Amino acid sequence: MKIAVCIKQVPTREWQPRLNDDKTWIREADASFEMNEPDAYALEEALRLKEKHGGEVVVCSAGPSRVAQVIREALARGADRAIHVEDDGLASADAFVTSAALAAAMKDEGFDLVLTGLQSDDQGFAQVGVIMAEKLGLPHATIIMEVNVDGSSLRVKRELEGGWFQWVAMPLPAVLTIQSGINQLRYATLKGIMAAKKKEIRKAAAPAGAAAKQKIVSLYVPEKGKKTQIIGGSPAEAAKELVRRLREEARVIQ
Amino acid sequence: MIVVVAEQRGGALNRATWETIAAAQQLGGAAGAPVAVLVPGARAGAAANEVAAADVQEVITLEHAALEPYTPDGFTAALEAALEQLDARYVLMPHTYQTRDFAPKLAARMDRAIITDVTSIKSGGEPAFVRPMFQGKLTADVVPQGPAPHFVTFQIGAYRVDHAKKGASAARVRALTVDVDASTVREKPEAPFQQAKQAVDLSQAERIVSVGRGIKEQANIAVAEKLAQALGAEIAASRPICDAGWLPMERQVGSSGQTVAPKLYLALGISGAIQHLVGMKGSSTVVAINKDPDAPIFEIADYGIVGDLFEIVPAIIDAVKT
Amino acid sequence: MTTAAFWFLFLAGVAAFAAQTATRLRLVAAAPNTFSIDDLPFRLRRFLADVVLQARTIRERPAAGLMHAFVFWGFVAFAGYTSVEFLYGLGLVDLTRTSWFEAYRRLLVPFAAAVLAGIVYLLVRRAIVRPVALGPTVSLESVAIALFIATLMITFLLAFRLDEASAAGRANWWAHMLVILAFMALIPASKHFHLVLSPITVFLKSPELGNLPNLDFEKEQVGLETVKDLGSKMRLDAFTCVECGRCQVNCPAWGAGKELNPKTIILQTQHALLDGPGDAKLGAVYSEKVLWQCTTCGACENQCPVGIEHLPILIGSRRGLVSNGDAPGYLGAMYNNLERRSNIWGLGYDQRTKFVQAAGLETFDPAKHDVLVWLGCAGSFDADFQKSLRSLFAILRAKSVRFGVLAKERCNGDPAKRTGNEYMYQELANGNIEDLKAAGVKKIVTSCPHCVKTIGADYAKFGYRVEILHSSVFVEALLRASTAARGASDGGARDVVTYHDPCYLGRYGGTVDEPRALLARFGADVREPVRNRDNPYCCGAGGGLLFADKEEEPGSRISDVRFKQLQATGAGTVVTACPFCSIMLKGAQASAGADTQFVDLMTYVDGRLQKATA
Repeated sequence: MKIAVCIKQVPTREWQPRLNDDKTWIREADASFEMNEPDAYALEEALRLKEKHGGEVVVCSAGPSRVAQVIREALARGADRAIHVEDDGLASADAFVTSAALAAAMKDEGFDLVLTGLQSDDQGFAQVGVIMAEKLGLPHATIIMEVNVDGSSLRVKRELEGGWFQWVAMPLPAVLTIQSGINQLRYATLKGIMAAKKKEIRKAAAPAGAAAKQKIVSLYVPEKGKKTQIIGGSPAEAAKELVRRLREEARVIQ
Repeated sequence: MIVVVAEQRGGALNRATWETIAAAQQLGGAAGAPVAVLVPGARAGAAANEVAAADVQEVITLEHAALEPYTPDGFTAALEAALEQLDARYVLMPHTYQTRDFAPKLAARMDRAIITDVTSIKSGGEPAFVRPMFQGKLTADVVPQGPAPHFVTFQIGAYRVDHAKKGASAARVRALTVDVDASTVREKPEAPFQQAKQAVDLSQAERIVSVGRGIKEQANIAVAEKLAQALGAEIAASRPICDAGWLPMERQVGSSGQTVAPKLYLALGISGAIQHLVGMKGSSTVVAINKDPDAPIFEIADYGIVGDLFEIVPAIIDAVKT
Repeated sequence: MTTAAFWFLFLAGVAAFAAQTATRLRLVAAAPNTFSIDDLPFRLRRFLADVVLQARTIRERPAAGLMHAFVFWGFVAFAGYTSVEFLYGLGLVDLTRTSWFEAYRRLLVPFAAAVLAGIVYLLVRRAIVRPVALGPTVSLESVAIALFIATLMITFLLAFRLDEASAAGRANWWAHMLVILAFMALIPASKHFHLVLSPITVFLKSPELGNLPNLDFEKEQVGLETVKDLGSKMRLDAFTCVECGRCQVNCPAWGAGKELNPKTIILQTQHALLDGPGDAKLGAVYSEKVLWQCTTCGACENQCPVGIEHLPILIGSRRGLVSNGDAPGYLGAMYNNLERRSNIWGLGYDQRTKFVQAAGLETFDPAKHDVLVWLGCAGSFDADFQKSLRSLFAILRAKSVRFGVLAKERCNGDPAKRTGNEYMYQELANGNIEDLKAAGVKKIVTSCPHCVKTIGADYAKFGYRVEILHSSVFVEALLRASTAARGASDGGARDVVTYHDPCYLGRYGGTVDEPRALLARFGADVREPVRNRDNPYCCGAGGGLLFADKEEEPGSRISDVRFKQLQATGAGTVVTACPFCSIMLKGAQASAGADTQFVDLMTYVDGRLQKATA
């Protein structure tokens, strides 16, 4: 099986936000980066499928040169080779531009399966996987909990809301976006890290003329910070106020 | 026109559609555009009649073989054909799992902008759509580029169901037909099912009520279970409770138990030892109830009540039920 | 005629000895070389203490140790006698009638008596008393050797009574010499080979407990995967083992009923070397499961009287497994946390920043500050341990110590190193060393013994040397120097406490007096638990076991066993000096539903100081 995994390099979750001068993007110079965590689950799933069915796993990423760091991490975990669509503009690109870049570099490879994470930890639009399916002309399914390959067809388990699930069959090749937490992520072994140094990373240029379909006109820090709110009063009063805040502020109960 | 694409299954309308209607009404009011609700899928009539109570211009049903059962191929083809007959400036949807599955494909098919997971709208000459980014550390105002229609999906709970205005009288309902080749649908879905509850899987739970040593005795766990029931939550515990056998091992949260990431984690009588914390640090909202004001759990809680949980928990159950 | 016969037997004995010894020596010579003789003065001092004076043997088991010492000293004393008798028997030279030899023989009598008493005691202990440390079955070979030694002494003493020319006298002489020759043939393949090897292994033992050299990635070193990867010192150790079981009975995993038994590890090594193919996987030799039950407390290696280093074998094998992706699931998650967040908890950096701000800590500046306080991962992220650090800050501020903290700390790398993930360890260590150097740090104070050991001893292997002190040492020196440090103990009721020595402080660091001095300073009544000072019973956190799942934990929890020992002192309060001991023992207390109070040493001291000045 020839499996592609699209991974994104994002600022680490612990990074403190710093905005650039026109406040439309972050100040990258201050950030440290890591592999988008949902993509790590997609990579793990791809590696498990390769272990079961044979073939190769090709990791694909679009972004500036610093993206090589997460590509190496993926290679160290067992991906066989990589494709890097290198362009500084891709750092803050929207899903359409990113999908166009990845699809252009991937279309001639003839992948049987393309996996991506659910969404990215930075912008979090959850669009690239689905748009890529459209651009590559392939069937797709999202929020996948289990992948079963049988010859040239696929049967996957989709997560639905409220504890419901659904199995869907479709022919290969196909695109899947993988739910986080479906497997236990392997760590990069010493042997994997040593081997990764010798694996191929093919550079590709971003296609010209891909138009952005959205613009961030303003990026700012939200007013409410994460501070503990201690609710006082009698037990009855505190309970009532807590439920009100959970309903209206946090919106975690109806 | 602002088109709200409703979500329904078997005639039962997804509540989130009302939230989207509320958003559409805000957007429509500011842009001076009428709101229409498009109801796709089999037995759309029943859901259409329900949504006709909203203060919208019209409700449009769209039935086609390609729409039943739901597939991204089918929905994309049918909705594209439908939208070609409607003059939509914006197409709004709730950000449900189903919407996530097809909406970006539909937008890409039509080569139009799509902004997902929006929490509010900033009205202006050109409305901007507000949404969190970078794990909620930053907020972005985003404007779509390119020709209409612009697709926007709304975060569940960002708008309130009861903020959707009702109309003086029922809106008119009409049917729309489209010409789509259902054989082009490549996905073959089976019937949805609920996972059999043999194994406790706290990792997928959306709400969790967790008990620690503060619960004092096994018999008192019933109080926590009542709260869990009232909230539609799973029950969990810190290690000492499971060690004592008061709850099964599968309900233990912590570095040597389950790792959970619910939307709501209610910690009752849990001190917050770091081995417990690492098991629940992914929770979106943490509520801590403990009689020790210095308990480490308060450091990471979003909301905290210092007091006797045996008085507070019943009061919470009452407040939830009203 | 008799000389010829003696020559024949002598050569047979020597040949048997040489052949078996050669097999073993060849195995050692074929190994990757891990011998070192750095720090010669330390090695010589230890040789004197442990070999010549038998200090380590006696300390752990005074009676048996002393009896063994008798046998050993007797053995050494008899060397001259045995040599002369052999020269005589081989017809080379006869010194047996010289006056000095006569005098020598008489001097040997008390030695012989001591040896006889000793060997009888030891034989009875082994064959009749049968302590658990010596194994479930009685070793016939040990009984035979004991009887040999007894025979040697009896025949020696009998020689004073018998006329050497008489038949009885000659039979006595032959018995004595034949026993020696039989002994010679037997010892290389038995645990008595330690007679030859143990002085060497004691001398070659590293001055550092748990010495794990860095893996050299340029040379593609990945750790110990198969039997042939075992180093030369490890192989010598395997052959020198006396099967005394000190390592076994001091091991906290064994004490909690787990399968890990350090003695078994060494004996399995020996068998694997002698019997197995060189490419046998170590994970199969020791059983992988067992390798993950070690907390790296070092009790085994520290108690061994013949200089065996257990930890390089255990952790070396872990390295081999981890490099191939065979670490248990909970460690895989820990490594991912270290990679992403540089801490084992996987918690975000904003939590550390929050604490630094809330505690009013300054970024370290060598121009302004005398010491760096290293928070460590517990200090950065564990709200419970942060209380103890606040106490430390209060003490330092009260004594006008100017201190700062680093803007960024990574895990010191200890959990990665002790579980065998060398790559992650070196990444973290090198990052920290760069930051420490860039910040111009000369002196560090920290409350975590793992940080003390790793940044102090392990980072030295990268060539980085810095003075790092545990907070108890620094604070004790501070208070000693100040005259106002009298506690509120005069006249009041004394606190009854027990102090749990952290393995990484008491055993690895040798710091046992300063914490006690601090407690005594405030008049605390310190009840010592069994296993204390430099031989504590581990709390169970080390070696990655902090995160071990229930399924991975056979037997009882090590922390539960230790907690019971602390409860048995009758003290209502346990004083800890390590965040991980605190986490584990508090967990044990919660599981036991007990009421024992826990207090960190710094919190105790700060509390008493405040009372004194109030």
